[in-house]
Amino acid sequence: MKALETLTGWIIYGFVILFTLACFIPFWMILIDSFATEHSLSTQGYQLFPTEFSLDAYKYLFSGKQVFRSYGVTVTVTVIGTALAVLISSAYAYALAHPRVKYRSIMSFLTYFTMIFGTGLVGFYLLIANWLGLKDSIWALILPYLLNPFYTFILVSFYRTIPYELNEAATVEGANDIFIFFKIAWPLAIPAIACNSLFNALHYWNDWWLALLFIDDTKLHPLQIMIRQMISNINAQAYIAGDTSYTAVIPAYGVQLATVCVTIGPILLFYPFIQKYFVKGLTIGAVKG
Amino acid sequence: MIRELQKNGYLYLLALPGMIFLLIFAYVPMFGHLIAFKKFNIAKGIWGSPWVGFDNFKFFFGGDWLHITINTLYLNAMFIVCGLGTSLLLAIFLNEIRLAFLKRICQSFVFMPYFISWLVVSFMTYAMFNTTGGLINKMLVRAGFEKVSWFSLAEAWPFILTILFVWKTAGYFSIIFLAAITSISSEYYESAKIDGATRIQQIIHITLPLLRPTFIVLLLLQIGRIFYGDFGMIYGIIGDNPILIPTTDVIDTYAYRALRQIGNFSLSGAVVLYQAVMGLVTILIFNWIIRRIDKDSSLF
Repeated sequence: MKALETLTGWIIYGFVILFTLACFIPFWMILIDSFATEHSLSTQGYQLFPTEFSLDAYKYLFSGKQVFRSYGVTVTVTVIGTALAVLISSAYAYALAHPRVKYRSIMSFLTYFTMIFGTGLVGFYLLIANWLGLKDSIWALILPYLLNPFYTFILVSFYRTIPYELNEAATVEGANDIFIFFKIAWPLAIPAIACNSLFNALHYWNDWWLALLFIDDTKLHPLQIMIRQMISNINAQAYIAGDTSYTAVIPAYGVQLATVCVTIGPILLFYPFIQKYFVKGLTIGAVKG
Repeated sequence: MIRELQKNGYLYLLALPGMIFLLIFAYVPMFGHLIAFKKFNIAKGIWGSPWVGFDNFKFFFGGDWLHITINTLYLNAMFIVCGLGTSLLLAIFLNEIRLAFLKRICQSFVFMPYFISWLVVSFMTYAMFNTTGGLINKMLVRAGFEKVSWFSLAEAWPFILTILFVWKTAGYFSIIFLAAITSISSEYYESAKIDGATRIQQIIHITLPLLRPTFIVLLLLQIGRIFYGDFGMIYGIIGDNPILIPTTDVIDTYAYRALRQIGNFSLSGAVVLYQAVMGLVTILIFNWIIRRIDKDSSLF
């Protein structure tokens, strides 16, 4: 019996530690190899502990214009997109959760229906590219994700936990519903709204589908598409540097790694902060369905 | 209706941007499904293009449909089974770890892959699996085996994709399970301990049964989308590698290629309409089944 308990303990610790290592090693490898010399990368391949270090890949990457342009695009899209998405979805969810709104069940159904019956790639493509004429426009990267039904329903269930008496009291005081929304409901819903912001921000930051469909102009390439170009497009020089005169040999492997690090850098730096809210948000979603 | 609008006008005003969004970005594109029944010509637009009835469907069902449907269902089934299984196990095991610092470190790292994009994952995959400098091949060589050229081995990719899916999402799902575990009252465990139950017995008789509702909700949400492939994932990792397409092409990547590479809007339209209808049917069937088994767990 005692032996069985010990064995169970070993299996549990072993599994968790192995899984953790599997999650950690790829990150470690990318980070550490981005500082390896091009020579060691091309002769040794990817290593967990390189022997020669250099900053050439980063120097090369930042000598060109593309990384700054891509950063600009991604940050702009993420900031504007998240701000608008949070505003629109939190207001919409408020109306869906409000007991006085008579048509809320119809509205909920129409929102839910878009989750289960796909809009379809073709109609979506035609809408953005032809009807709205947003090809090669930054709005094509922002507008489609402004209202995510799933995140909206998480907000709805959070609003429902706010006591309705607060609302009634404010109404008696003569406040109108917009005032109540911004001054009372919003501050109370801050945990849910923080979580909603993070979901949206991550979605915008990591998306590359929209850019793949609608952005051909390299000036508007977000970071994710830049990674894709770096992996698939061998002509890094033309892409990154444009017309800079970088004389040394281009660190092709190193630049790929450096690009990936630069892209995930902000997320991993904010990670400890984000994680807390994410866990909270997921819990809200999971408990309330 | 007018009276309702007069009474709660401000509330509907708050909902207005969201409603406009849904109308434009979710309902207007549904007209795109009409293209499935037309011979679409971009110059003539949807309304101007001639009707062809079911010709596009005949073409689709005469060729690739079975192949890509099987791929989609097979891959998603693997994702659901292995993904939910691993994350359930991970959550239960994490919960059993008594060293607080180790638990916290592990929890942080297993959640990390969730935060990066599939393109970054695809790059990591390349760094692991490529033939010349890839880490896995280097380890194989060191252990005395032959190198494997993974990127020309089509049969291996359904499994590799499953591993990648589990790797990226297990942390995320295990947090949901962990949240559910922490809400289980500790009294159950205490009385079980008094009765002399081992850890395994506690897991089997207390934790697992109480996690059932959470498990069912997650399962349903994923089964409802079993006809949808994760385009960002599969196209990000496989791209246009012609050797791997036979085993990894799903409905979404097929529709994308028909649209963007071949420029066949009508074929792509037929494919996505097929996908949307099948998705809807799946949801209805599974919701019906769940209602019969456990009424509280059903979606609607």
